[in-house]
Amino acid sequence: MECIITIDIGTTKVKASAFDLSNNLIGTRQGSYPTFHPQPDYSEQDPEQIFLTVLYALKGLINDELSKKHRPTAIVFGASMHSVLPIDKYGIPLRNAVIWADNRGRDEATLLKNSELGVKIYEQTGTPIHPMSPLVKIRWFGKNNSAVWLEKVFKFISIKEYIVYQLTGQLVVDHSLASSTGLFNIHQLAWEPMALEFAGIKTHQLSEPVSIDFADLKLKKEYLRLFRVPSTIKVIAGASDGCLATLGAGVVTEGDATITIGSSGAVRVAGKQVLADEKQRFFNYILAEGTYISGGPTNNGGVVFEWFVQQFGASGVHTDIEYAVNQLLMEAERVSAGAGGLLFLPYLLGERAPLWNANARGAYMGVNITHERRHFIRATVEGIIYEIYSIGKLLQQYRSIENLYINGAYATLPFFAQTLSDVFGKTVYINDKHDSASAGAALLALTQLGKYDSLTSAAQTIKSVKTYAPNEQNHERYSHFSEIFDRLSYKLAEDFDALVALQG
Amino acid sequence: MSKPTQTSIPFSEFPHIRELVRLKNQTVRLNDWPVQVRGGIYILCVLEGKYEWEIEQHRYILYPNDVVVLCPWQQLGSPTNTLEIGSFTWLKLEPALFEPTKELQLGDWSALQENDQRLMGRLMCSHAPMVLNQLKQVNELLTKIEQELKQAEFAYQTRINQLLDELLVTIVRQQSQQQNQRRDFPQAFEQLEKMLRQSLDHPWTVEEMATVVGLGSTAFTEKVKAYSGFSPLNYLINIRIAEAMRQLRQTDKSLTDIALDTGFYSSQHFSTTFKKLTGYTPGHYRKRQSGDTS
Repeated sequence: MECIITIDIGTTKVKASAFDLSNNLIGTRQGSYPTFHPQPDYSEQDPEQIFLTVLYALKGLINDELSKKHRPTAIVFGASMHSVLPIDKYGIPLRNAVIWADNRGRDEATLLKNSELGVKIYEQTGTPIHPMSPLVKIRWFGKNNSAVWLEKVFKFISIKEYIVYQLTGQLVVDHSLASSTGLFNIHQLAWEPMALEFAGIKTHQLSEPVSIDFADLKLKKEYLRLFRVPSTIKVIAGASDGCLATLGAGVVTEGDATITIGSSGAVRVAGKQVLADEKQRFFNYILAEGTYISGGPTNNGGVVFEWFVQQFGASGVHTDIEYAVNQLLMEAERVSAGAGGLLFLPYLLGERAPLWNANARGAYMGVNITHERRHFIRATVEGIIYEIYSIGKLLQQYRSIENLYINGAYATLPFFAQTLSDVFGKTVYINDKHDSASAGAALLALTQLGKYDSLTSAAQTIKSVKTYAPNEQNHERYSHFSEIFDRLSYKLAEDFDALVALQG
Repeated sequence: MSKPTQTSIPFSEFPHIRELVRLKNQTVRLNDWPVQVRGGIYILCVLEGKYEWEIEQHRYILYPNDVVVLCPWQQLGSPTNTLEIGSFTWLKLEPALFEPTKELQLGDWSALQENDQRLMGRLMCSHAPMVLNQLKQVNELLTKIEQELKQAEFAYQTRINQLLDELLVTIVRQQSQQQNQRRDFPQAFEQLEKMLRQSLDHPWTVEEMATVVGLGSTAFTEKVKAYSGFSPLNYLINIRIAEAMRQLRQTDKSLTDIALDTGFYSSQHFSTTFKKLTGYTPGHYRKRQSGDTS
C-alpha cells in the first residue's frame, strides 16, 4: 500500500507523519530539540541536532511505525519560517541557525520600517519589516561580523534548506518559504534587488527558488539505505508551515479564515490578491503561484495562559501542565462572559499584529474588590482572544470572512473555541485533521502525485467534525470589551515605553 | 560593645570538618562581615534575624532557615561590611578535591558514590550561588552533628560522617527540586540540556540526569519520552552525534579524539553509533565536505 511522508520542521520539534493516498493519517513520529539563548535577545538552534532529529523521526516512522505493507512513495517538507543559517562553500554551517524569535536585529528593523525604502520593500516582498525577517537578520550579520567571516559565507539559507541539502545535496528554496524572507518579490517570484541591497548580499548567496511542488530532488543513497526506501521515492520541496496549515485547514479561497492558537497564534486568509496595508500590519506569503496567504501573527497565545498557570495555578513539582490548564479552565467557566468587568491585555512578549509594538506589555484593568482568582483566569483567556479578534477585525476591513476554522493546541480547547465563537460572533469549525500543517503537506504531495487536480479541490476534501455556534448575548457583551481593549492597546503606548525602560 | 557569642569545637578527629560555628550577634557590628571567599564547602543557615548579603555579586535577602551553600572559591558577606543583629550557623567542609573544572571528591570519610559526588560538584558549580529557601532540615542536622561531637557517645565518628552525608544529600535534593518548582518540564529539560552539553564526555547515567531535573528515574524517563520523543539515553546520544558532526566538519581533530570528547568510550563504538544514526561512517561523513556545493 502506497503512502506519503510529511516532515514538519517546527520551532520545538520535528514531526514525521505518514498518510495513505486518501489523506488518512497512518502514523507519526516526532523528536524535539532546544532553542539556545546565549543572550536575552538571541534565539538559536543547532542545525546538526535538528538534522539528526529529522533522521531519527523519519527512520522511526518508516522502519518501526509503519508496517511492511506500506511503501513510501513521496516525502514532502514543511518548516517554520524566518530562520537564517550561513553556510560555507562546502555546505558546512558557519554558526548555529538563528530562528524567527531572535530579536538581535531590532535596531536595523526599526530604522528600515520608518523609511521610504522600508515601505517599498514591504510592498514587493509582503513580509512585515521586523527583527524576525531574514532580510533584517542578514543585514545584522553584515554589520556585526568581520570581512573575513563574511567572505566565508557561501549562502544564507534556512533550516529547511539545510535539511533538504543534507538529504539530497541540492540547495533549493520553495517559493513559499522564500516569500517569508523579506527578500523575495512575491509579485515576480524572484529575489528582490532592493531588499538584497539592503541586506548586503547578492542573488548567488541565496538558494535557487523553486515551486512548492518541485520534485526534482533525489535522496542520497546512504539515506535510501538508512530509511529502507526505494530510489524511486519522490522528494517534494513543500512550503512553509503557516501556508501548509492554512491549506490543511481547507482554506485556499476567499471567504474563509483560519485561527491558530498554539504557543503563539495567527489569523490567516487566502486569496488571489495580496492585502496592501499602508501600515504594514499584515504578512502576505505565497502558498503556491497565484495564491497568497495573508494575515497577522500574535506572540501572545497559549504561552501567556501557560505563564498564568505556572504563576498562579496549582503548585507542586512538575504538575502536569495539561492537567493544570484544564483545572483552571473549569474554574473560569463558573464566571460569566466579561469576567465581571475585568479586562486583560496579554502583551507579555511584546506584540506583532496588529500593534507591531515590541514594547507592549500586559495589564489587568478594572480590578475591583469582588474579583477572585477565577475572574483573573477567565479574563486572561478573554484577553488572549480579544487580541486575536483585533487581528480578525482588521482583516475584515479587506476581506469578508464567513467561516472560521480553528486549530492549534489552545484554540481547540472547548472553552477557547466557544469564547472565540462568541467574541467573533461567528460559528467556528474544528476539522478532522488535527495537525493541519501535516495535513496540508499531504494534500500538496497528493496533488503533485495527481490524486487531486488542484490545491483547491484537494482543500475541499477537508471535513469539519465539530462546530461551536456563537451566543449572541455574549457576543454583544464582548464587543464592548473588545472596543475598550483596542483603545487601551494603543493609548498605553507611551506608558509601555516608560515601563520597558525601567524593566532594563 | 560585646563580642558576638561564637561556639566552635575542635575537630582533631575530623580533619575534613574545618569549622562548625554558631554565631549569635546582639548588636550591630561595623567592619565585621566583609564580602570574602569563605573557603571549603561552606554551608550557612540563618537562625534569627534578616540579612542582606552579597553572594557572588548578587544581592540576597536571607531569613531564618534560608541556607547558602558555597563552593571553595565563592564569596559571601555584607556589602556594607556590617554584621546585623541575629544568629546563624555554618559548617565548613574541606573536600579532598574540588575545582571549578567540576570534579568533586569529598574524601574517604564519605559513603556517597563517586558518581554522585561528581554530580553534586557539577550541580554546585552550575547553580552557583546555591541559595535554598526554608530548608529547616539543615539546622536540625547541624545541631545533631554538634551534639554528637560534644557527647562523643558510642560510634560517634561513624555517626557524624553519616550525618554529613545526609546533610549533603538533603541539600542536593532540595536544590534540584527548588530549581524546578513552578517551572514546567520543558524549562527543567532545557537546564539539563545545557549541562549535558557542558560535559558531553562525562559518562552520564539516567539517574544522574534525573537528579538534575529533580525527579526519580522512572518519572524522568517517562517525561523525557513524552516531551522529546527520545528516551533519555537516546536524547543524549543525539546531542553527542550532533556535536561530533560539527567537529568532524569544522576541525582537524582525529576520530579518536572526537569520539572521546563527545563521550564515546572507543572509536569503534563511536563509528557504529554514528553509522546507525546518520547512514555514514564518521570518516565518510568528513570526506563529504570535499564535494563543493557550487
